[in-house]
Amino acid sequence: MDRRMKLVLTIVSLLIFIMLLWLAENYIDAFIKRILNVAAIYVILGVSLNLINGFTGQFSLGHAGFMALGAYASALLYMSPSLKAMNFFIQPIIWPLSEIEIPFFFALLVGGAVAAIAGFAVGAPCLRVGGDYLAIVTYGFAEIIRVILNNLQSVTNGPLGLKGLPTYTNLYWSWGWALFTIFFIKKLVDSSYGRALKSIREDEVAAEAMGVNLFKHKTMAFVIGAFFAGIGGGLLGSLLMTIDPNSFNISLTFQIVMIVLLGGLGSITGSVVMGISVAFLMELLRFVESPMTIFGFTIPGISGMRMLIFALILVITVIFFRRGLFGHKEFTWEWIFRSRGRNADESA
Amino acid sequence: MSLLKLEQVTKRFGGLTAVSDFNLDLQEGELVGLIGPNGAGKTTVFNLITNTYYVSEGRILLDGKDITGMKTDRITAAGIARTFQNIRLFGELTVLENVLTACHLRLKSSVISAVFGLPGYRSEEVQMHGKARALLKTLGLDKYERDLAGSLPYGLQRKLEIARALATQPRVLLLDEPAAGMNPEETLALAALILRIRKDFQQTILLIEHDMSLVMTICERIIVLDHGVTIAKGLPEEIQNNPDVITAYLGTGDLYA
Repeated sequence: MDRRMKLVLTIVSLLIFIMLLWLAENYIDAFIKRILNVAAIYVILGVSLNLINGFTGQFSLGHAGFMALGAYASALLYMSPSLKAMNFFIQPIIWPLSEIEIPFFFALLVGGAVAAIAGFAVGAPCLRVGGDYLAIVTYGFAEIIRVILNNLQSVTNGPLGLKGLPTYTNLYWSWGWALFTIFFIKKLVDSSYGRALKSIREDEVAAEAMGVNLFKHKTMAFVIGAFFAGIGGGLLGSLLMTIDPNSFNISLTFQIVMIVLLGGLGSITGSVVMGISVAFLMELLRFVESPMTIFGFTIPGISGMRMLIFALILVITVIFFRRGLFGHKEFTWEWIFRSRGRNADESA
Repeated sequence: MSLLKLEQVTKRFGGLTAVSDFNLDLQEGELVGLIGPNGAGKTTVFNLITNTYYVSEGRILLDGKDITGMKTDRITAAGIARTFQNIRLFGELTVLENVLTACHLRLKSSVISAVFGLPGYRSEEVQMHGKARALLKTLGLDKYERDLAGSLPYGLQRKLEIARALATQPRVLLLDEPAAGMNPEETLALAALILRIRKDFQQTILLIEHDMSLVMTICERIIVLDHGVTIAKGLPEEIQNNPDVITAYLGTGDLYA
């Protein structure tokens, strides 16, 4: 199959996708629409974490921290001054922030940029450590962010959080960013830079001996991953209409790590599929948290049971499907048409 | 002027001196062998040249320029490439990607131009592919291009390591026991390959090897290390008959000495 054919297929399916988005935005009920928005945000987060954990092989647990920064930085910029005044009733917000209001899109970009700067600040010093140590350091970083957000009363409103955020996030924004994230990271990992990142994952010593600048490339993965995490955080904040420091805790990171592991470390397709699946499963599995009667025993509703099921799925995956759903494989047009061709041969 | 020069290089690990006062003078186009019994410090010398280990004392000069303490990837960019004794390929990448990764250090385009596929990056990518494919063809690996490096048989993996090192366009190639684990026939083929690389690329090579026959046949000069000390230097014939070398390798005849 030649390049032009594939390009046409991609453009056509993109157009169909945009049409579906338009239909969904206008005709689907709010509940499903919300799940679709969350799905897009999970895709952004999963794919960006996969760049760091899956392609570069640096096990980071800092994603919630980057998301928190993106969510707060963007929210503080797109909230109207009067809304800010209403929120900050214990201690007023500091001066420049109290007056600023910029459009959602630019606020998101700034949020992403703040997260990216944090990604650099964290990435640069702690990339000297590897493996489990890096996981601990990045987790520590996410906790530090949470503590700072909790205590910086005059900037973040502390534990009260920010409430009544305007809902700018819709399917166009969320899926638009999701598509851009997929495009950007897919192009990146397929480029020469991507090969360098993967070589670091495969063998750091050999990569360095072949002239790959470890510091530059690892930091790059962190900065880009953090940028998109910040964007995802910003979108999530505007979707949920309320953010507080404690919603960006380790269990949020864990959820994204789970998406990446289930989908396959090193497979963008896997992160996309699992991001969407997890968003839907989260809602579908709500019934397990309601009271129920099994074999005559009445079990009261236990909140958090859903996570237990996800944990179980994760354990099974790690034991029996170590490479996740997709391993390193990606969706390609060839793959679809090849399997088609084979089926046709068999039926003939 | 010598291309690679090591002046009184010493490496200490705590109380242990792994390499002491090592001197090397590698001329352009030479093929020099570095031999010695197990644990003599041969690989340590390579690790010192590429700054995988810090040099305790002494200087390393590449073409007159001091590269002591430079970062490993900078040293590679300056023109020293190596292979590893225990193969270190990028197993989950294809054969072609392994070689392309080694071309990455000469890439000039930025990340942004790579992601958006700007013309500058695209032409560089085409160039890199051309170079990598040509190298694979020279080493007879072209038909495995799309296979995962980790799935290749052992001998081919060794070859791929050499191809990958060559892709960095080194001025000096460091080969760390390329014949390890090979049978005599394969070793013979490898010797021919090394000689061919040397001729085709006018490559200066420093070779660590256990296989005596290989070293004796292809190297012009030989340096013998034992316990980190240089015990002999010279032409293959001189080394062969050097009593110190024989003692180092085989021990003395007297059991009660």
